[in-house]
Amino acid sequence: MNQNPFYFYTSSNLVELTGEKANNLGELVTLLKRCTGSSIFYHVFQSYRDRHFAIEKYHSDFAQWISTSLDEEALAERLGSLDVRDFTTIRSLRESMVKMIEDHLDRYPQCKTRESRTPFFFCQSISIVMPTKYIAWNLEDFYQIIEKIGIRSVHYHLIEARLRLGIHSNDFSHWIRYSLQKERLAKRIEDIDIYLHTLEEIRKKILQYVKEEMVPR
Amino acid sequence: MTSIRLKDYEPIVGEQIIEELYLLAERLRGRRVKMVNSTAIGGGVAEILHRLVPLLNELGIQTQWEVIKGGEDFFVVTKKIHNALHGEPISLSPRMKEILLEVSRENLKNSNLDQDVIVIHDPQPIMYIEAKERAHAKWVWRCHIDISNPNQDVWDFMKGYVEQYDTAIFSSPRFSKRLPITQFLFFPSIDPLSDKNRELEPEFIDQVFERFHIPRDKPVITQISRFDRLKDPVGVIKAYRMAKRYVDCRLVLAGGGASDDPEGEVVLEEVRREAEGDPDVHILLLPSSSPLEINALQRGSNLILQKSIREGFGLTVAEALWKRKLVIGSAVGGIPVQIIPNFTGVLVYSIEGTAYQIRYLLSHPEIAKRLSEFGHEYVKEEFLITRKLRRYLLLFHTLDHLGERIIYV
Repeated sequence: MNQNPFYFYTSSNLVELTGEKANNLGELVTLLKRCTGSSIFYHVFQSYRDRHFAIEKYHSDFAQWISTSLDEEALAERLGSLDVRDFTTIRSLRESMVKMIEDHLDRYPQCKTRESRTPFFFCQSISIVMPTKYIAWNLEDFYQIIEKIGIRSVHYHLIEARLRLGIHSNDFSHWIRYSLQKERLAKRIEDIDIYLHTLEEIRKKILQYVKEEMVPR
Repeated sequence: MTSIRLKDYEPIVGEQIIEELYLLAERLRGRRVKMVNSTAIGGGVAEILHRLVPLLNELGIQTQWEVIKGGEDFFVVTKKIHNALHGEPISLSPRMKEILLEVSRENLKNSNLDQDVIVIHDPQPIMYIEAKERAHAKWVWRCHIDISNPNQDVWDFMKGYVEQYDTAIFSSPRFSKRLPITQFLFFPSIDPLSDKNRELEPEFIDQVFERFHIPRDKPVITQISRFDRLKDPVGVIKAYRMAKRYVDCRLVLAGGGASDDPEGEVVLEEVRREAEGDPDVHILLLPSSSPLEINALQRGSNLILQKSIREGFGLTVAEALWKRKLVIGSAVGGIPVQIIPNFTGVLVYSIEGTAYQIRYLLSHPEIAKRLSEFGHEYVKEEFLITRKLRRYLLLFHTLDHLGERIIYV
């Protein structure tokens, strides 16, 4: 039996209102520079979790707002294309977003003060992390738990883990690679495109890969 | 109201959601909470507390509900405050402030404050905070109303009390204010097991349409709202007319009675005049409580409109989305929180835009179906009472760790 079991956690977040709002792109970039890391984390990674049942054009609230409230589609597309897997710190993500918006404002200065249809309200979140009753000692356990565990747990270990741990991976792959020594499976889970699948589809993909791994090749 | 158990929600939200609620509550077991509001019957807050309090108790959180008692003069003053917080130019005389304080102090005399958390709902009992030193509790002010553009004098007076709380809760980011205390976002919620929202037999829906003489021989577009200019019923008829030149349809305007609102009668007359001579416009003046009829009208319609000019949260949108109905709504109040444009519904900004979207969506039922499915899922995630329950549990955990961003429990 593996001596390093996988403990499943789950996280929920309470949304905190900051009282800050942007009415145009100029204000957005100003606030983006000084808002908390938690605020960026919420608008880029967490609010999306609450719409996990479908694929939206943009996961990031910033890109979504720039598209629907300012009609700045090119900028929204650029911001929307930022991949969480390329960042291991909020600081680097913030810098990339600020640079993209400032480049856009340099090219189109008239956008800076053009009023949006609806304001962007900056929120931030408080994460409440809890252990669940589920522990996987081996791949069979892991399969059975992934099948039934709450979707927030999948989000926590697969997506939030990257920034929490500052790694280019996720908790599942980390355990599978270092505790089970199954590099191929770890890599396959890492390579799942989280932008093209709902969390339920991601759950199915993990199950499929684990099942394939369990069948002797 | 029948007794509903948490388990009754499992077929609707799934086993995992209920399991997570138990998990969150496990470490709060034995915690004592008091909810204070101003009425036991009638109004959205009482409706929610009737469900929420038993569910919290079922989860092991000892929750008590207290209703502040006051005379007619007290409720006249609190009604004025309510209207002033919505922006009406009202000033509070020193006597009015005295009445508020006297009633609050009188109630506090008989109130035990030995809970861990005290949640004060809306402005009426806000002065309970005077007893903060007497209790060891965390104090929460839950504001259900839109105070984004309040009467400044009245707000300044209220703010002095709000700032003494440990935290405040608002229903929408746009309803909140700059405050020196932590503020949380709690969306209002609907109860999927209430008469207004529960599943109905198709035969019952047919009967309701027959009873109101609304044939379903062509698509039916419906707006449920009281006859109030802020809900723009005349604008709805105009939009329907523009759309009807291209797609044949019926319009149902259904709303509560206008007996206590003199302007309601005038608006209803305007609406009737606008609709005169068109047998495809059905104006229904419903008794003040007709949840099953409203439920059936929403379920039997093809499209739901909420073309308000000003709106509170506009929870009728979530009610319609829950019934898998596509909603065309104005971008006002809490509607944009519920309608994510072209994802969970359609937002409009004018009568012409409304007409165009009616035409487009009646001609593309497959798109309407996709949006309404997402709308249903979004309500399931964000606006059901089970989500509200989870938010309260998360809040109770957070109150022990104010200032921390990640809380391990």
